[in-house]
Amino acid sequence: MQTAHTVEHAHAHDTHEEHHHHEETFLTKYIFSQDHKMIGKQFLITGIFWGIVGGLLSVLFRLQLGWPNETFPFLETFLGKWAEGGKISNEFYYALVTMHGTILVFFVLTGGLSGTFANLLIPYQIGARDMASPFINMLSYWFFLAAGVVMLFSFFVQTGPASGGWTAYPPLNGLRDTSVNLGSGIGFDLWILGMSLFIVSALLGGLNYVATVLNMRTKGMTMMKLPLTVWALMFTAVIGILSFPALLAGAVLLEFDRLLDTSFYLNNIIINGQLLGYKGGSPILFQHLFWFLGHPEVYIIILPAMGLVSEVLSVHSRKPIFGYKAMVLSIIAILVLSFIVWAHHMFVTGLNPNLGAIFTLFTLLIAIPSAIKVFNWIGTIWRGKVRLSSAALFAIGFVSMFITGGLTGIALGNSAIDIQLHDTMFVVAHFHIVMGVAAFFGMFAGVYHWFPRMYGKYMNETLGQIHFYITLVGAYAIFFPMHFMTGLPRRYYTYANFETFNNFDSLAAFISVAAIIVFLGQLVFVVNFFYSIFKGRELKGEKKADGYEYANPWGSTTMEWTAPIDRLHGNWPNEIPAVHRWPYDFNVNGKEFIQQTEPLKPGETEHS
Amino acid sequence: MVAFLSFVVIVLLFAVLVLIARANELSLVLKTGKMDFTGQSRVNGYLLLGFLIVMFAGSAYSFKELVPVMVPKAASEHGVKTDQLFNITMLIIGVVFFLTQVALFYFAYRYNESRGHESYFYPHNNTLEVVWTVIPAVVLTGLIAMGMYEWMKIFNVEARDKNMMVVEVTGKQFNWIIRYPGKDGKLGDRIIDATHISPTNELGINWEDAKSHDDFMADKIYLVKNKPVLMKLGAQDVLHSFYLPHFRVKMDCVPGIPTEFYFTPTMTTKEMQDYLSTEPWWQTVNPETGEQRWKTFKYELACAELCGKSHYGMQKEVVVVSQAEYDAWVSQQAAAYESVKPKTTDEPKAEVTGTTETKVQAMLTNK
Repeated sequence: MQTAHTVEHAHAHDTHEEHHHHEETFLTKYIFSQDHKMIGKQFLITGIFWGIVGGLLSVLFRLQLGWPNETFPFLETFLGKWAEGGKISNEFYYALVTMHGTILVFFVLTGGLSGTFANLLIPYQIGARDMASPFINMLSYWFFLAAGVVMLFSFFVQTGPASGGWTAYPPLNGLRDTSVNLGSGIGFDLWILGMSLFIVSALLGGLNYVATVLNMRTKGMTMMKLPLTVWALMFTAVIGILSFPALLAGAVLLEFDRLLDTSFYLNNIIINGQLLGYKGGSPILFQHLFWFLGHPEVYIIILPAMGLVSEVLSVHSRKPIFGYKAMVLSIIAILVLSFIVWAHHMFVTGLNPNLGAIFTLFTLLIAIPSAIKVFNWIGTIWRGKVRLSSAALFAIGFVSMFITGGLTGIALGNSAIDIQLHDTMFVVAHFHIVMGVAAFFGMFAGVYHWFPRMYGKYMNETLGQIHFYITLVGAYAIFFPMHFMTGLPRRYYTYANFETFNNFDSLAAFISVAAIIVFLGQLVFVVNFFYSIFKGRELKGEKKADGYEYANPWGSTTMEWTAPIDRLHGNWPNEIPAVHRWPYDFNVNGKEFIQQTEPLKPGETEHS
Repeated sequence: MVAFLSFVVIVLLFAVLVLIARANELSLVLKTGKMDFTGQSRVNGYLLLGFLIVMFAGSAYSFKELVPVMVPKAASEHGVKTDQLFNITMLIIGVVFFLTQVALFYFAYRYNESRGHESYFYPHNNTLEVVWTVIPAVVLTGLIAMGMYEWMKIFNVEARDKNMMVVEVTGKQFNWIIRYPGKDGKLGDRIIDATHISPTNELGINWEDAKSHDDFMADKIYLVKNKPVLMKLGAQDVLHSFYLPHFRVKMDCVPGIPTEFYFTPTMTTKEMQDYLSTEPWWQTVNPETGEQRWKTFKYELACAELCGKSHYGMQKEVVVVSQAEYDAWVSQQAAAYESVKPKTTDEPKAEVTGTTETKVQAMLTNK
């Protein structure tokens, strides 16, 4: 229905260009928008909000980790009972790390990243007027927002938000007993509710993205002419559709255990010498369900970043992406393998050792497509003509981070080595670099690159580059030395109780200082983003016969820049242009670049 | 007040930064009417090259400063092997890290647009792509094979020594319950039901099983050098993880599901101290104890799975000794059964009460 409506609306544009046949109010344009571009911006701004919250939580627990013996009186002013005497309580510390993980993994790097760029780029780059179902797309955002509101609300309940780790393992989170785990009261019920709403949002969005890419490409846009961004975003959605339901099922059963006293995950629980009535469940079952999403989830986070970076690197290097087909095939290989590596999070749970061996095999295999991608990115820069703008810098930073973080995965994925490394700070360093920082770099590259498409203005380059260097140097300062804390268990409030772990005080303080600086550095981005929306340098282009102004600020070949600077409902005022060539014709046929919509010259063969 | 003032200062700094950046951007656009990236590309090319050098210098400095502080060498048979594997892996990835980062940042510098060249249309090269697919595949196959071999050896039940020790460790919030099998080498049965589990018998030990009569509880884990030990692991309330960093041992403790880990300690606590006394960092004085660090070295047991608010406090000492020292220690331990066995009238009262009983009782309830 909605599709028909959009197409109709677009036709109206075809005939009466200046005449808007239905009035848009503030409410329909900015709030209950069904326009993919606006929904993308809604996801982005909500994601930025969550990024600030999630980052702030990490600053708070870094204060504890960096200076475990100090007190910070201002903390009591803001946090009250959670930081009596200016010292964060151990219970609140665990709430902070739990919510930091939940917020950044799901609300920023899944919702904020996929939500933003799938919405913005899929219709634009495939040449569609909007998503397959704009209404479902709107619902996807509203479920995302509702999920966030529930999560935010959980900070303000008496027993605090969830505090049993973002992985939500039972029995710690399976007993609704706040003496076992303070955050396992109403705070965790809200966590489950919030996550359930989030999963609904991800599924509604994902189905829409896949349907749109498969059905709504413009004339001539065959699959092998799609930019890598679209490939990456579509397969991200496929992974989400196949894996999120497992987490939803797992979470619902967990809530049954908590509220209805079922025993899906609980067996022979003894609290203070009292045997509780749970019988026959398995806490390990939850881990399987969780990581069946949880591992594909890291690819849900990193694939969109890979897609954005491939595009940004190619455009700013003025050179085709190296090995387009290999890039597509490696995304597919990652997609398939991402579903059969989950138990590498469970090597030391008492899993059958034969399974451990199999999962080592698949886990290390996934390094191969990842390596191909890295070599191809480096190959793309090689002999390019690289315009080192903020977007390109962040894309290069992404590759650097992905290499560093990805390589340590080879150590962790090997079960025999993982016995020692599992659940230590080495893991924290690994995944923060490879899926946290790297994904953020990809996201920033995308925001700087496509900001003119979103707002018709540029972001400030100087601030962008300051932001880049603070983040690059700072993120390495935080996470590189953290690898040497191999052996120190993660999620420790203090290491003071252990002779073995108590030797890294000055390093911990150094990391905390770096973390605070990086957090402030991200505010440079936030300021730049909102300042540029209103006061940024205008994107200027040329006015064409149809009265619209067109611009292609980076000299891209892709479809999104064939639409006017104005973000029209329906994207193109006239007929949607047809596509004739692949998206990477840079410096070929004597031209600096050739847009996808330009027909082949007589005698020119299609790139294959 | 200080907090408020620093907040104001930060806000002002941001405002100044925005103004400068805006002015800078305007000046760049002013010349041509369009943003000219040539100058910025040149500067950023040098900065990226500079970053590459700083990154490697920082990595080298981290190695020099932090490696001596790390958890020392493995004190178990399999740990030596997995450490070797870890070192091989780190060496390989170190080389790849170096080469790829150099290529990435050097190319970004060398081919930035300020150098006045044209880009080279070079969409793919199948030979090259096959090469850089096959090389990682071969290297990874080697690592997978070595890893699987060690892994299967660690968990090979058939290869276990018949004369191994058995120790049972059960995690609870927030402590470890350590049970030794006593002279018979066999742990008494446990029955998990409402009649056996009680605050004074939280493990649910079946006292009617004679094997339980010589079992004793301990506050430290005593192990024998070169004697294989099977750790029988469990948890009462939530997940815990039995982690012996020095022995490269880690295994989750799961309520309702028994797990185990078999390993052989190879260095006594004393031997490890002697070894560390030759290491420069361990010779430095710890300001907290006022002693050289190696003198207070001890093996420790930690919890490695988030188990609640005092997760970070689940510490127990592990002591590795010779067989003779171990036997002497065992002979001093009182069987837990002593405190619960039915009292007979002819038994002298003084033996039952007294300090032993209170001690064992205290251990059982872990107060």
